[in-house]
Amino acid sequence: MKRSGQLLEDLQKRKKRQIWLAAAGIVLITAWSARETDFSVVSVVRGFGEIVRFIGQDFFPPDFSAFRSLIGPAVDTICISFVAMVVGAVLSLLLSFFAAATTSPYRWLQASVRAVCSVLRNIPALIWALLLVAAYGLGTLVGTLALILTSVGTLTRAYAEILEEIDMGQVEAVRATGASWPQVIAHAVLPQFFPGFVGWSLYKLELNMRASTLIGMVGGGGLGFSIQKGLKLFQFQEVCVAILMVIVLVLTTEFITGKLRERLI
Amino acid sequence: MSAILEIRNLRKRYADGTLALKDVSLRVHRGEFVAVIGPSGAGKSTLLRCINRLVEPSGGSIIVNGVDAVKASGRQIRRLRREVGMIFQQFNLVERVTVLRNVLHGRLGYRNPIAGALGLFSRQEIEEAKNILRRLGLHEQMYKRADELSGGQQQRVGIARALSQKPLIILADEPIASLDPATSETIMQILSAICREDGITCLVNLHQVDVAKRYADRIIGIRQGTVVFDGPPEALDDKAVGKVYGP
Repeated sequence: MKRSGQLLEDLQKRKKRQIWLAAAGIVLITAWSARETDFSVVSVVRGFGEIVRFIGQDFFPPDFSAFRSLIGPAVDTICISFVAMVVGAVLSLLLSFFAAATTSPYRWLQASVRAVCSVLRNIPALIWALLLVAAYGLGTLVGTLALILTSVGTLTRAYAEILEEIDMGQVEAVRATGASWPQVIAHAVLPQFFPGFVGWSLYKLELNMRASTLIGMVGGGGLGFSIQKGLKLFQFQEVCVAILMVIVLVLTTEFITGKLRERLI
Repeated sequence: MSAILEIRNLRKRYADGTLALKDVSLRVHRGEFVAVIGPSGAGKSTLLRCINRLVEPSGGSIIVNGVDAVKASGRQIRRLRREVGMIFQQFNLVERVTVLRNVLHGRLGYRNPIAGALGLFSRQEIEEAKNILRRLGLHEQMYKRADELSGGQQQRVGIARALSQKPLIILADEPIASLDPATSETIMQILSAICREDGITCLVNLHQVDVAKRYADRIIGIRQGTVVFDGPPEALDDKAVGKVYGP
């Protein structure tokens, strides 16, 4: 009894020491990084005034007369995000069957599909857009393609994971009735797959909406492109309207997709 | 009496090396209600799943109504499966669709792949599915989602799904292992009554010896992949039980 008490005390002491060590480590790394990057609280505070002045004087009041000319780019942004999500979802749906351990016919195929998707997903849409601009020139096509690539990367992985978590008991039961492969997919796999499929696709639409603004800045079209153009021409009050529109778009998408998810799942 | 199911020298070794069935031979006659008992891991589930080829046998033969299931091609397997209904321990209903649809799944083997996949069933099939649900006292639950039902109700839907196949044989894999004692009793009563009324041959895997003795015409005891007892319930005395479950 006494020995185990001693042991517990030792263990607790060691745990305490580990926590202190970890805390010291974090402080050390932070200090070192701040030095390397010339981060100082003083310059942050000094810059802060400048930001306030810049936003307050140059951006406000927003020039709402620019609103009409920004409707076109806003629609572009919506279309880019939506088309990229739909095309990405369709491609991912096909690919995910090869990427899921439970449905893939060969292990090497599963591994290679997953590897390709990992590359597509981990290179940011912004980089894809930069690469694609070189090939296709400026425009909405580049934005759409860049978002399709990342959509395929993300959604294939997400769908494959849903497929792997399916209750195989339900699949077995439908198979046991003498159902053929397409029937088993339609009646046992899809009902289980559907909620996750809708949820992830809508989430990707949200992400696309945000990313499309950034992509626009490097020539992918849409509101981002207008913002970039406005900044270069010092039309900050127009840019302000564009930024407000981005915020409204993103929030609206989030609201609508949230409502849809509630309905469908 | 003619044998509707004849198993000869059935063997199953899984990919990981486990020998689940060593050498099983048995004959089941039309209309028999057979309980298969034995400790966990004895090979009861494997035996049942070899009959409808959810598990690939490693050797031997299984003649179901004149057709060798072990040699059957893909198309023949599906034909065989639609004549063999199956009931599961975890019910295995498709949870997100209605009770009625789950029962209609029993008709998939009779539909062509496309119409079946699209969920097109004939008016007659739907009417029959409703009748089966009525017979099992589930007509009020018909349009509920399957996962809204209690365990006992779900298992009744499982029986309904098997019945809508108009099966020659029903395989029940531990049908009452996830249910409380009272519900278990009801399910066993329903299953045995229906099989007797409709003349369906039934193989039931069971854990409980007393339940097996009360409901079965015949008991088969399996241990470590071999049949160690095969006879009427009266013949299953303490010594025989010891041979199945003993050390």
